[in-house]
Amino acid sequence: MWDSLSLKEVVEYARDPYPSIRQWIKDTGKKAVGSTFADVPEEVIYAFGFLPVTLMGTNKPLKKAPSHLPDNACSLARSNLELVLSYEGDLFDGYVLPQVCDTTQHLSDIWRINFPDKYVESYLAPRQADRPSARYWVKEEIERVIASLSKWSGKKITDADLNEAIKVHNENKALLGEIYEIKKKNPAALTNHELFALMKLAQQVDKAEFNKSLKKIKDGLKAENGKGYTDVVLVGITCDPPEIYDLFDEIKLNIVGDTLLVGTRYLQGVVSASANPIDALTERHFKRGFFTPIHDNVYKNFEEVKALYKKTNAKAIIYVHIEFCESQEYDLPDLKAMIKAEGIPMHTLDTEYQTLSLSHVRTRLQAFFESLKGGTL
Amino acid sequence: MSEKLTSRQLSKKITDEYMDEAFHAHELGKLIGYSTAISPVEIFVAHDIVPIYPENHAVANLTAKKGAELCSITENMGYTSHLCAYARSDLAYRKSGITVTKGIPDPDLFLACNAQCFTLTKWFQVLARKGNLPVFVFDTPEHIMDRKAREEIVKYCVLQLKELIGFLEEATKKKFDYDRLREVMKYSAQSSILYKKFLDMAQYKPSPISIFDALIGMAIAVYRRGTQECVDYYQTLCDEIQAKVDQGIGVLPKEKEKYRLYWENLPVWFKFSDHAKLLGSYGGVILTSLYVHAWSFDFDLDKDPLVTLAENYVSRFSNSTIEDRVDMAMDLFKRYSMNSMIMFMNRSCKAVSFAVPTLKDILTRKTGIPALVFESDMGDQRFYAESQVRTRIEAYFETLDKLQAKSV
Repeated sequence: MWDSLSLKEVVEYARDPYPSIRQWIKDTGKKAVGSTFADVPEEVIYAFGFLPVTLMGTNKPLKKAPSHLPDNACSLARSNLELVLSYEGDLFDGYVLPQVCDTTQHLSDIWRINFPDKYVESYLAPRQADRPSARYWVKEEIERVIASLSKWSGKKITDADLNEAIKVHNENKALLGEIYEIKKKNPAALTNHELFALMKLAQQVDKAEFNKSLKKIKDGLKAENGKGYTDVVLVGITCDPPEIYDLFDEIKLNIVGDTLLVGTRYLQGVVSASANPIDALTERHFKRGFFTPIHDNVYKNFEEVKALYKKTNAKAIIYVHIEFCESQEYDLPDLKAMIKAEGIPMHTLDTEYQTLSLSHVRTRLQAFFESLKGGTL
Repeated sequence: MSEKLTSRQLSKKITDEYMDEAFHAHELGKLIGYSTAISPVEIFVAHDIVPIYPENHAVANLTAKKGAELCSITENMGYTSHLCAYARSDLAYRKSGITVTKGIPDPDLFLACNAQCFTLTKWFQVLARKGNLPVFVFDTPEHIMDRKAREEIVKYCVLQLKELIGFLEEATKKKFDYDRLREVMKYSAQSSILYKKFLDMAQYKPSPISIFDALIGMAIAVYRRGTQECVDYYQTLCDEIQAKVDQGIGVLPKEKEKYRLYWENLPVWFKFSDHAKLLGSYGGVILTSLYVHAWSFDFDLDKDPLVTLAENYVSRFSNSTIEDRVDMAMDLFKRYSMNSMIMFMNRSCKAVSFAVPTLKDILTRKTGIPALVFESDMGDQRFYAESQVRTRIEAYFETLDKLQAKSV
């Protein structure tokens, strides 16, 4: 199903992966378990023989979600709720939903109440990351989720099952990382849209299969430097709709670094080899880069963005703001001021799930990069 | 012998002394700790940190209708209008100095407990960046409906309380006194029992208090719990309300009290008295909400103080599942004999409001009582549509009248 995809097919599947997931479930007889962002240890779900699928909203119209979550709720949360209430809910036998902010906390409750016949478990991620208690808590939560999945499925998993799942997931991240490295140095080798479609689909389909596609895609990439590209760093949580990447491609931006969950923060989730896989999964939680809902260090965001900009020799930062994401909205004014004080050009893209028209985004983006090239920034 | 102070006089005296101490904290060798209103402030009190609640200061300004002016200032600083009005008015106060009070002293450190909301953490982080000050996040995972998980959550929170104590010892260079904490907990436990007794007096018919009395009465529980004067205040308040009960004095006379209402969410602070008058004209009295009960703690003094603190703070309504919030509200419906409800969708408070549509569906189904739902903002007048709210309230009471006529 997903083991011999071309780049073109990856883009198509990433736009709407659900028909293929439906077919895969039919073919394999396995169950799918959905999650939302961020940080659910998908290796655990995989180790039970389920297909972990990270839900990333729908482009289809909102019908039911607005009666559960008001219009000032994070558009990703509303879009994900709509996805399962109206369109793809039947695909999933269960869900493991992380709680990282007020919205995701409520979302878990609403989800559970609306799917009384399905398995719905919360993953209570810590909302602090710099103290010893956070490590204690992550381990407790991973163990609790394992016990919960075990009770639901009637299966028990061993360290060997977990280690095998970790191996498949690590390989997936390593392959994506290698493709990303090729893209950074050879901007014309694949488009931004294609690169981030790979990142997205990787979190939604069977990784053992998809890794085969990734290997072939990687081997087929040609070293194409291209001309006239501007290197940029993308900062945020997610970047949607995918047509935004087309805009980047249109004006020849080359993303050489990012902090996205559908990007580098996923790649940072490689789990170290360890005698105890749960300890290794726990440690992984603290190796990932900044994520606004969990990090209590008030300067970490700025320091990491600045370091990434310098390391990549990028020419500008593009910050992707998801409308109604409170976590981002409290950080953004200070982040902008700190970045500006460093003399780093920064452009903020205001995005919203279910957005159909990108004309305003295009105009502002073009104006910013014309000014950048003209040296007026 | 001096005459005994009334609760109102006592409240003013306690508040004046508290703010006086706060403004002179550094001269007294004490630090100022900004705290979320729902947080284990007993640790602060036991360690002589003066707790200051920016939310209370925000309420004073929002009740005095300064919300639109202040929030506009913050929006001009680059913050969106979707954020909490407490935060927006506070950030504007920092920039402009505009306040209807004497203001609040600047912080030395922060304690953000997310049992209340995550917004406060982010707001405190903004303030911390301005002064490069330390923030301690007391992380309280949702009090999910699983006994074993709850035990683990409490263990995690106890670990964090120990870390908090270490954090404060470091900041003050002073050893924490656990005996002093036990004493503080004793006061907190006593005042909580009395505060709950005060709130529960809304069970009487006619009710001697409305939610508006509760909102005024809760202030001391929020910022002076853990002290003897807090206990004294609630004892005085309970005595006064009991005297009203004994004389049959209600917010409305017994024959006019038709509708005993439940209120979901924080109040619309700048419409406080208007709402009381408007509802009263229809024979309606709002009796209670889960919000005012957030400070009804049930501390067990026989337990390790850190354990009972953790158990209480993780289980506040704002950190409970929607199912548990339904149970808490149903308990109030039964005990207070409520026959109507207003569900306020407060665009400023996502932590409470995102549960409201689901709560409304379940509560109306379980009680058989229709609900009035309206959307506005607790502090920013620009999001309050006067005529629309008034029309809805009128229509709601007409519906209730018709239902009541049918049932007779």
